[in-house]
Amino acid sequence: MSKTKNPEELVDRYLQAVRFWLPRSQKEDLLAELGEDLRSQIEDKESEVGHALGESEVAEILKRCGAPIVVAGRLGPPRQLIGTTIFPMYQFVLKMVLLWIIVPVFLFILIPINVANAGANWAEAVAATLGQLWSGLFIAAGIITLVFAIIERTPAVTSATSKWDPRKLPLVHKTEHKPASRLQAACQLFFAVFGFVWLLLIPQHRWMLLGPAAAFLGAAPIWHKFFQMIVPLALFAILRPVVTLAKPQWAWFPPVAELAQAVFTLIVLNFILRGGFPYLVLTGGASATAEHIKVAAIVNVSILISLAGAWLGLSIAIVIHLWKVFRFFRKRRAQVHEPLSLEAH
Amino acid sequence: MSNGTNNSEVFENLRLELRRGCLSLAVLTQLRTERYGYTLRKALADDGLEIDEGTLYPLLRRLERQGLLVSQWREEDKRNKRFYRLSAEGERMLSQLMVEWQRINTSLNKILQYEGV
Repeated sequence: MSKTKNPEELVDRYLQAVRFWLPRSQKEDLLAELGEDLRSQIEDKESEVGHALGESEVAEILKRCGAPIVVAGRLGPPRQLIGTTIFPMYQFVLKMVLLWIIVPVFLFILIPINVANAGANWAEAVAATLGQLWSGLFIAAGIITLVFAIIERTPAVTSATSKWDPRKLPLVHKTEHKPASRLQAACQLFFAVFGFVWLLLIPQHRWMLLGPAAAFLGAAPIWHKFFQMIVPLALFAILRPVVTLAKPQWAWFPPVAELAQAVFTLIVLNFILRGGFPYLVLTGGASATAEHIKVAAIVNVSILISLAGAWLGLSIAIVIHLWKVFRFFRKRRAQVHEPLSLEAH
Repeated sequence: MSNGTNNSEVFENLRLELRRGCLSLAVLTQLRTERYGYTLRKALADDGLEIDEGTLYPLLRRLERQGLLVSQWREEDKRNKRFYRLSAEGERMLSQLMVEWQRINTSLNKILQYEGV
C-alpha cells in the first residue's frame, strides 16, 4: 500500500493503473484524453468549492470515474463473451498462461526432454511435441475463457470492482528514457582502455596472461589470426563509452551497441572454438617435462571449457539484448505517437 | 436470482439500448461547435444526458473512424486537449439522422398516445 499527500499524483497513479489494463492500440491517446478529462473535473470542482482539492476529494472524483480495470474495459472495443469489465484481466491471464507459461515449458523443458529420449528420431519428437503444444494452447485458452465467462456472470464481479480505494494504488513508475549515465560510461572507458593496452602487450609479455607458466607455454600459431579479430573488438569496447559520453542524448545507442558487441564477440568465439585447439603450446620443444605437458593439457581444456561457457552465456545475452532493443524501440514508437505523457501539462 | 433483481437488470439493459442510438445523435449535434471531451460531456450533462468517460471516448473514436468527426490535439490553458468537431461528411450525416429522428419521434409519440402512456 502506498500513500500520497499530493492529489495530482493520485491522478497519475490512477492513470498508470488504467494504462496497465488498456489494449496497446490507442493506449496513450485514450489515456491522455482520460487524464485531461479528470484534470478538468478537478479544476471545475475547485472553482465550485473555491479551494484546491485535497486527497480525499480527488479520490472521490476518481472513485466516481470507476475502478481502473472497469474504465480500461469500457475504453476498449466492445466484447461479446467476456464483458468489458473483466476483459482486460482475461486478456492478461490468457497472455501470461499461454505465452509465459505453456510455450516456455514446451520449448525449454518438454522438447529437450523428448528429443533426448528420442535419440535418432529427434525430428519426430519435436514435431509430436509441437503438436501437443498446439492442443495444449487450445485447451488452456478454452478453460480460461470458460472460467472468465462464468466469473463474468456472477454478481461478485460488480461488488469486487466497486470496493477499491484510489489512495491505495501503486506509485507512478517513471518510464521515460533517461540519458545514459556519464559515470558508468567513464568507468567503462577506463576499463576498456586498460584492457586494450593489456591486450596489445600480451604478445611481447606472455607472463601478463600466463604468469609463471609463460616460461614453458606460448600461444599456438593460430592466435595470430584470432588476435587480428580480437583487437577490433577491444577497440569497439573503447568506442562505445566514447560515443555514450559524447552523445548522451542518443538513448538508443547503448542497447544497440551492447547487442552489436555481443554478436561480434560470439562470431569471434565461434572461429576460436572451431579452429583453435590446442590454444597453447609448449615452447621448450624436446626439453619439455612430463609435468609441463600435463599443465599444458589442463590449461588447454580449461580454456576450451571457458570459451564454451562464454559462448553459451553470450548466446543467452544476445537474446536478452535483442529483447531490450526491441522493447526500447517499441516504447520510443509509443512515445512518438503519444500526444501526452502521464505528467500534468 | 430474485425476480426484482432480474427486472431491474432487464430495465437497465433496455435503457442502455435506448440511450445508445440517441447518444451518437446527441454527440454529433453538440459537435457542430468545436469542443474537447470534458466540455462535451458537460454540455450533454447540462442538457440532461449524462455520459461517462468510458462511453464517450470510444464513441468519439468510432465516429472519427467513420469520418463523421475530425479531431486535433491543441494546447489550451497550458494543457493539451483533443478538440473535436463535425466533418463535412458528419454534417451531411447529422442532417439525415435528424430527419430520421423526427420521423421516429413522431411515430413513437403517436404510438404512445394510442396506448395512453
